Amino acid sequence: MIRALVLALVLAACGGPVFHLTSPDNDRSALTAALAHRNLPEQPAPLNASRTPRVFILAGGPTKQLIAYDLQRGAILWKQNADVQSRIWVGGNFIVEREHDQLVARDQQTGTVTWQTEIPGELVGATADADHAYVAYKENGSTWWLAGYDGASGKRLWKVDADGTLGAPMAHGGIVYVPYNQQWLSLVDGKTGAIAARIRGIDEGISMLRVTSKVAFYGSKQGVFRLDDRSASGKRAESSYAQVKVPPQLDKTTYGRDIYDPVQNAYTAIERARILYAAPAEGMQLDAYAVHYFRFVFGFDKTGALVWAYSNPRVELVASEDTGAAILAVSQTGNLVALDPANGAVRLDQNIVQAGSILGATFDADGWSPPAQGEKTETVAALVAIARDHDARFDRVKELAVQALAKLPGGEVTQELLGVLADTRAPQHLKDVVVDLLVARKDPASLSVLTAQLAAHDDFLLQTQPLALGPVAKAIAGLGGAKLDPAAVSAALVALQSHLDAPTTQVADLVFVIDAMAAIGGGKERPALGSHLLLYHADDDLGSDAAWGRAIVLALENHGGPGERELLRQVAADPRTKPDLVTIIRDALAND
Amino acid sequence: MGTTAGMTTKVWVLAFACSSSVVTAAPKAKPDKKAAIAQLTIALDGVDDEAAAKAADELGDSTDPAAHEALLDGLAFGLRVPVAVQALTALAKHPAPPDVSSLKRYATHHNPTVRGSALNALALYPDPIAHAAVVQGLHDPAGVVRTSAASAAAKAHVREAIEPLFALLARGEEPAARALAAMADADLVRKLGDQLGKVPDASLALCLGLVLRRPDFGPDAERVEVVRAIGKITDRSAVNALTDYIDATPKNPPRASRAEAEKMVEARLGGAK
Repeated sequence: MIRALVLALVLAACGGPVFHLTSPDNDRSALTAALAHRNLPEQPAPLNASRTPRVFILAGGPTKQLIAYDLQRGAILWKQNADVQSRIWVGGNFIVEREHDQLVARDQQTGTVTWQTEIPGELVGATADADHAYVAYKENGSTWWLAGYDGASGKRLWKVDADGTLGAPMAHGGIVYVPYNQQWLSLVDGKTGAIAARIRGIDEGISMLRVTSKVAFYGSKQGVFRLDDRSASGKRAESSYAQVKVPPQLDKTTYGRDIYDPVQNAYTAIERARILYAAPAEGMQLDAYAVHYFRFVFGFDKTGALVWAYSNPRVELVASEDTGAAILAVSQTGNLVALDPANGAVRLDQNIVQAGSILGATFDADGWSPPAQGEKTETVAALVAIARDHDARFDRVKELAVQALAKLPGGEVTQELLGVLADTRAPQHLKDVVVDLLVARKDPASLSVLTAQLAAHDDFLLQTQPLALGPVAKAIAGLGGAKLDPAAVSAALVALQSHLDAPTTQVADLVFVIDAMAAIGGGKERPALGSHLLLYHADDDLGSDAAWGRAIVLALENHGGPGERELLRQVAADPRTKPDLVTIIRDALAND
Repeated sequence: MGTTAGMTTKVWVLAFACSSSVVTAAPKAKPDKKAAIAQLTIALDGVDDEAAAKAADELGDSTDPAAHEALLDGLAFGLRVPVAVQALTALAKHPAPPDVSSLKRYATHHNPTVRGSALNALALYPDPIAHAAVVQGLHDPAGVVRTSAASAAAKAHVREAIEPLFALLARGEEPAARALAAMADADLVRKLGDQLGKVPDASLALCLGLVLRRPDFGPDAERVEVVRAIGKITDRSAVNALTDYIDATPKNPPRASRAEAEKMVEARLGGAK
């Protein structure tokens, strides 16, 4: 501590702006001292003075409403009409927010205004801790300031200037983290405004900050650092650093809000695409993480494999937080959702606010979770709901969902994937993905489901059409070589032959039907395929189709015996056989 | 797997030959006749479609089992569309049970004309498999095939076809109306009468009108019921059906059904006929 104060004095003695380029940085002992100076709880806990888990909600509508909700009691603490134009920052006994050009503090128990003060310039960001509020602002277009206020009275206690860009600060147990010029993070004493330590990101910029009751994180869109002694290195390799795998379908996701974007001082859609993670006991090896993506939350293991999913019905989740014990979220319609971070089980889904559309929320609930009551994990249902969702904005998310579904075994999943193919409103690209997944799936348990899908035929009276015949046949062909139930194979062959023989089966589908029969038939398919070849070998349409010719000839040549090869020779010798087909047969038999 | 490859053809033909020898006691083919059939067989399998179709026709005319076998073999090995159409018709000139499998195979051919020919031929086979194929033809997406199937159903009096024919009637398909009219007995007429409001008036009037004009339908009391059923149809087509019946029926000997039809037409037209 003494060393930190000495550093602060040295910095102050230099004259000129407090935040400037040439200040010392990455001093490990100064950093250690500054971190030790923080007054943090022993266990994760809410910041507010009563240590009660709360969420502060901003509701839109003709008149905006500020709502405090007690998560522990499950009751609204208070509601106040207020034209709030920022996010809500939580202190000990108070909250602060912006209303027009004023920084407004409200009593956390009642919501009444306790003080307000004019923001002296353009708001860069604000924050609060148990006893203080802090504001970063820009004055005259070129000077940045950080000011500290007494949380009880609103009296300004100090202000310090910067010769470069400041980002939105975050307070943490008496220390204020202040981003500077995209590359530095200063640790400022909340009581005096003196810089206690400074980190310089050497191989990664600093544009993101996140604080829980015990741990602070910083980083950029590329990755996230845990703020600890190792941060003094300024380098990823020597710091507690994590980069999680985010599927490309969730490409807008970030580790936290951009502290240099003043727009993000308010609740924006950026809050809805967020990586959620809890601090490990030490270091930054994340065993699991989640991604909140608008209406959805996906859970991943440390390898980046998707392990669970949650789909919020109809409306987006506007705010989310990993408390370490639960993933909490608030929906646009005022539902509070609590998920088990390990498996996505829904511990709570309850409407807590009946107001206009919810604009955003700030959680003060670190370490809190509603009690687990043996909830069921509904990942398959969630993935299915996502895949079947008709919201065109999430077409890529649907891809992710079907990819995750396809990795799960069982006929039920296959049935759901086929449901996507049957959905007339599903985008074609998604259907293409599903087809590829069905083919790659190679799940023997799915054969009967795939066979059932073949039941529909082109029927004038029943007004039915085959449903995704080609893809289904392709998927069945993918099961070639797998250990299959003989009864299921027989049923599949009957169903496939019904399409082989059907008058209206398109050539493109016919090719897949032939492939499928050959792949799983084990010889039982040969008479049907032989008969089919004979029926159409001289046909002007089919007989001249190269794809059909290759499929039927190779099916008989590769999977057939001497009898089939003799049949092929006879067909090739028939003067009526289409020349292209003759060529295909001769090529196929060339090595005989 | 129910397949119909050519390998069973000889068995069928053998069966055909046996049945022919019992029923018709056909004389043994003379050597020149065999040579002619051999020539026709070569033509049937040749690249000249016109000659092949003609050969199929001539083979169909022949009562020689070898000719029938040649047709079955040709169909089993696969014939081009114009030849197949002729061969299917030819085969049914002397129907034999083994033909059904071959005809059924062509009843689902990709070419609608071929399918139609196969269904027309299947009408001549009192075989459940043939009947099932005819019924399936009523579901065919191609109208020309449904027409053939409806005609076949009527010709073979396929009872299983009645329900799908009603469904087609509900869609206003004229071939279905004609088929049902051809198949109708008193019971079926009552069922047709019950379709009022469920099927297009014009289709129902056409169907019942055709029943009325069938010389084999009767007695006249049943025709009166048909006239009354038509009388319930408000569409102009009902008057046309009744008028056609009046025009097609002699005044003498007097028929109650004709008199009833006249009364209805007069009532509808206010004596303006």
